[in-house]
Amino acid sequence: MKKIQLKYILPIVIPLFILLLPVTSFGIAQMTLVEQRIIAIFVMATLCWILEPIPIYATSVLIIVLELLLVSDKGLWFTQVASPDLGHLISYQMIMATFASPIIMLFLGGFFLAIAATKYRLDVNLARVLLKPFGRNPKFVMLGLMIITAIFSMFMSNTATTAMMLSILTPVIALFSKKDLGRVAFALSVPVAANIGGIGTPIGTPPNAVALKYLTAENSISFAGWMAFGVPFVVVMLFIAWLLLTTLFPATIKEINLNIKGRFLKTPKAITVYITFVVTILLWLMGGVHGMNAYVVAMIPVAVFSMFKIITKEDLKKISWDVLWLVSGGIALGVGLDKSGFAANAINAIPFADFHPLLLIVGASVLCLLMANFMSHTASANLLLPLVAALGASMHSLLPYGGEVVLILAVTFAASLGMSLPISTPPNALAYASGHVETKQMAKVGIALGIIGLLITYAMLYLLNKISFIG
Amino acid sequence: MEKINIICVDDEREVLDAVVHDLDYFRDLFNIEACESAFECLELLEELDAQQEHVAVLISDHVMPEKSGVELLTEVALDNRFLGTKKLLLTGLATQADTIKAINNAKLDNFLEKVWDPQELLQTVKELLTEYIVEKGLDYEEYIEKLDAPTLYRLIKY
Amino acid sequence: MIKPYLKYILPVIIPLIILFLPTTGFGIEGLTLVEQRVIAIFFMAALCWVLEPIPIYATSVLIIVFELLLISDNGLWFATNSPLEIQGHLLKQSTIMATFASPIIMLFLGGFFLAMAATKFRLDINLARVLLRPFGHRPKYVMLGIMMITAVFSMFMSNTATTAMMLSILTPVLALFSKEDIGKVAFALSVPVAANIGGIATPIGTPPNAVALKYLVDQYSVSFAGWMAFGVPFVVVMLLIAWLLLNHLFPADTKAIKLDIEGQFLKTPKAYLVYITFAATILLWLLGAVHGMSSYVVAMLPVAIFSMFKIITKEDLRNISWDVLWLVSGGIALGVALDESGLASNVINAVPFNSFHPLLLIAVASLLCLLMANFMSNTATANLLLPLVAALGASMHSLLPYGGQVVLILAVTFSASLGMSLPVSTPPNALAYASGHIKNTQMLKVGVIIGIIGLLVTFTMLFVLNQLGLVGGGNIY
Repeated sequence: MKKIQLKYILPIVIPLFILLLPVTSFGIAQMTLVEQRIIAIFVMATLCWILEPIPIYATSVLIIVLELLLVSDKGLWFTQVASPDLGHLISYQMIMATFASPIIMLFLGGFFLAIAATKYRLDVNLARVLLKPFGRNPKFVMLGLMIITAIFSMFMSNTATTAMMLSILTPVIALFSKKDLGRVAFALSVPVAANIGGIGTPIGTPPNAVALKYLTAENSISFAGWMAFGVPFVVVMLFIAWLLLTTLFPATIKEINLNIKGRFLKTPKAITVYITFVVTILLWLMGGVHGMNAYVVAMIPVAVFSMFKIITKEDLKKISWDVLWLVSGGIALGVGLDKSGFAANAINAIPFADFHPLLLIVGASVLCLLMANFMSHTASANLLLPLVAALGASMHSLLPYGGEVVLILAVTFAASLGMSLPISTPPNALAYASGHVETKQMAKVGIALGIIGLLITYAMLYLLNKISFIG
Repeated sequence: MEKINIICVDDEREVLDAVVHDLDYFRDLFNIEACESAFECLELLEELDAQQEHVAVLISDHVMPEKSGVELLTEVALDNRFLGTKKLLLTGLATQADTIKAINNAKLDNFLEKVWDPQELLQTVKELLTEYIVEKGLDYEEYIEKLDAPTLYRLIKY
Repeated sequence: MIKPYLKYILPVIIPLIILFLPTTGFGIEGLTLVEQRVIAIFFMAALCWVLEPIPIYATSVLIIVFELLLISDNGLWFATNSPLEIQGHLLKQSTIMATFASPIIMLFLGGFFLAMAATKFRLDINLARVLLRPFGHRPKYVMLGIMMITAVFSMFMSNTATTAMMLSILTPVLALFSKEDIGKVAFALSVPVAANIGGIATPIGTPPNAVALKYLVDQYSVSFAGWMAFGVPFVVVMLLIAWLLLNHLFPADTKAIKLDIEGQFLKTPKAYLVYITFAATILLWLLGAVHGMSSYVVAMLPVAIFSMFKIITKEDLRNISWDVLWLVSGGIALGVALDESGLASNVINAVPFNSFHPLLLIAVASLLCLLMANFMSNTATANLLLPLVAALGASMHSLLPYGGQVVLILAVTFSASLGMSLPVSTPPNALAYASGHIKNTQMLKVGVIIGIIGLLVTFTMLFVLNQLGLVGGGNIY
């Protein structure tokens, strides 16, 4: 019982305590009041995302509102009292603009593509066609399912992909005998593939988009650039996951038959959807040729689908606005840390340079993996990425290993690898709800994949650095 | 403007014609389809779906050879593609068991007895159409002259 | 009669022609490529909003995307590779995208949150019940009560939602009127008229007001309380006139009517939180000067509070009229482009507006706006006209004695809300027309009269405000 109350009390008391401390007590030279307030907001966000007293997207809104009230140029009267310690107030337009930062627009474009694909049944029909070559041997059907799930989740939300694939699978799993472990393998294959698949593109999962915010200037990565390492990583991980699942939970059934009804729609609107889908992805991949960056390209499907009433006013409601707001909160947190000067200040004050850079990379990504298993992936990324980005930028000892890019990517990938519990990700929760998977089984697979995934991430980053692709 | 269909199903031609005639009021803005059997209706549904047209209201008789109205409406109720389609059973010969099944499985939206009052049928379809259009988020202003105003006032919230 | 296919062809062809003309073909000295493209985008927007080949919010999205493609620093390769002196200044991509979350949009978002919470916790219907009681049973006064309540609600809720709610209260009563009693017409018209007028009173009452705020900046900026200081009296006067007019044109025969609204105020902790937040937000808006927060920042408070306490849930978020927010964003993006490309000041310098009489300009601009608003969306009208008159107003020194650009902007903004003579003019009109109690001609008569009277009252109000030194121009000298 006490615990329940703590989750409401801690996020209020601790930030308040931080706010009321004298500025000098933080042990950071020249810390300003604005920076102190940012620390309080950051701690509040951390506590709210970890303890979840309020919905996770509400925490994001709270971050933005508190920034507006406490550190903006239009905030509460007493926050703006002239004092030598005040520091730089942030323009309120800049804080509000995080709701429509280019990263958010990138995701909005992804949502439009996904909603149109579902509405015009491109997803189910593609799944039907792509599954055919995999025959009827359970092992290969599972491989097929995993590959298709992974591809879809690169462009659609992991949750929507999982829901769709599970709805195809459910009638098939029902035919398995009670004792057949193959059930478990099939039920787990979908969320695992969806979680892994999301890593493949910048729009695959929100943590990737958050990472893009910190990969700027000389460290920036294009859409195609991300896929150049993301897709091979996904392929390797999928293969490992497939081997793992088929060894741990071998199916005794000899043959399975997936039956997906339907045919490709051939109305003019449906064809517009197909073409826009392909063109948008092509434009994303060929960013170098036409000059538009990924963010601008993402707005093209938004315009096309609204124009032709493929996405109507009502369909706008299907957009996961809460996910967009969740990401906005993370961006606002980053903006706050950055613009207040706190990020740079704190890093200078703490002797991070004494740590071994590899230790830092491993420490940060293991922490991220751990957090991502217990809380929202996006919230984990929101919290850790601004910190490691600042850290990475200031640590010169990191340069031989690829610099801050390596650190950011390691943490981002780790955020997507947390999948050992039903609560880790919505896909896991959906698969668990099917009733075919026990928590223990999910944990076994999730932990194994998490650790293997981290090792592969390190290997990949090492290689990328060697061939000077990054850093 | 989206194409919106109202489908009527009855195995007796005269009855079918009478229903269609009573719905003439909607003809200039909506498409009214007549089917003589459940199978014909299912085929039509496939066709309309392939064209991405809306099926707003499905009015069916119950006692029909091969497949009954309740069976037809149940099948439609379980089909994801026709979520939101309003289902009206128009029958004089349904037993209590049929009626219970129709409500529980086919999730009927309305039940009218034969012989029906044309005015009542018209009003019912008007209300169901309005509900469908608002729930689907179609632009109600385009169809407003044929819709039921009180239902519209009740449903518009934002 | 315009051929139906023209509405699809014109918005494509005309902007294309503009794009392919040589920059010297416009008769404006030093016109850059970016400015030329802004002209093309503006024409595309105007044609799309007037002819409506695509949904009006889609036009807004289109404006933003074309700006990103043609005049942003991350646009198409051929649009960004000319030398600076020919090309002109490209806009930053993040500036254009930020219009989706400009402070004005956030103000509206806050308004939506308040309205959604009020509806969800039945604050609106319960308030209507309580507030209607003192108006008794005489049709004349019941109607006055309905109009006042509708107007007050539409100051904070969308005009459409308010109209739908009030009409659903009225419908059972109207059914009791005898067939010949034209009092029915008065009642059915009173709601949309009051909703249209009521929206004028606050910056969040109707989207055109929010669009106007974008152009009322720096020394011309109007606070929330400042807007209400002239908006509310205007609404009161107009309501009274409309009430007299409706009673005079369509007198009711029925002697007594009884409105029956059931329900009671919710008393759950969440409901109380809604009541308190509602009151506190409005108070903070009115007391802007005391606490230092701008109305935009205040608008975010209900957003945070309602999300935190799950009063507005993830699912409710979907019910926000995102299309309305996007429609406004498009207007803002258009303004940003005209402004930042330098086109606005360039054109105004090239065209001899200064030779016009300033009063003529005010009258013509607001008449044009009124006319357009009768046939198309009020917001789209404001989106198109306000950036033009704002630029015009800023450059016309002869306007200063009459109050400067503020007067021009406010006149046009008010006219945008006064267009209500046709069922297609505004969604409230369409809803009322659907009741079947009103004829086209009756709506037209009332709408035209109120439109013209409204304009005259607007002019008078602006004149008085200027005399009192409450708006604009004088303080420049």
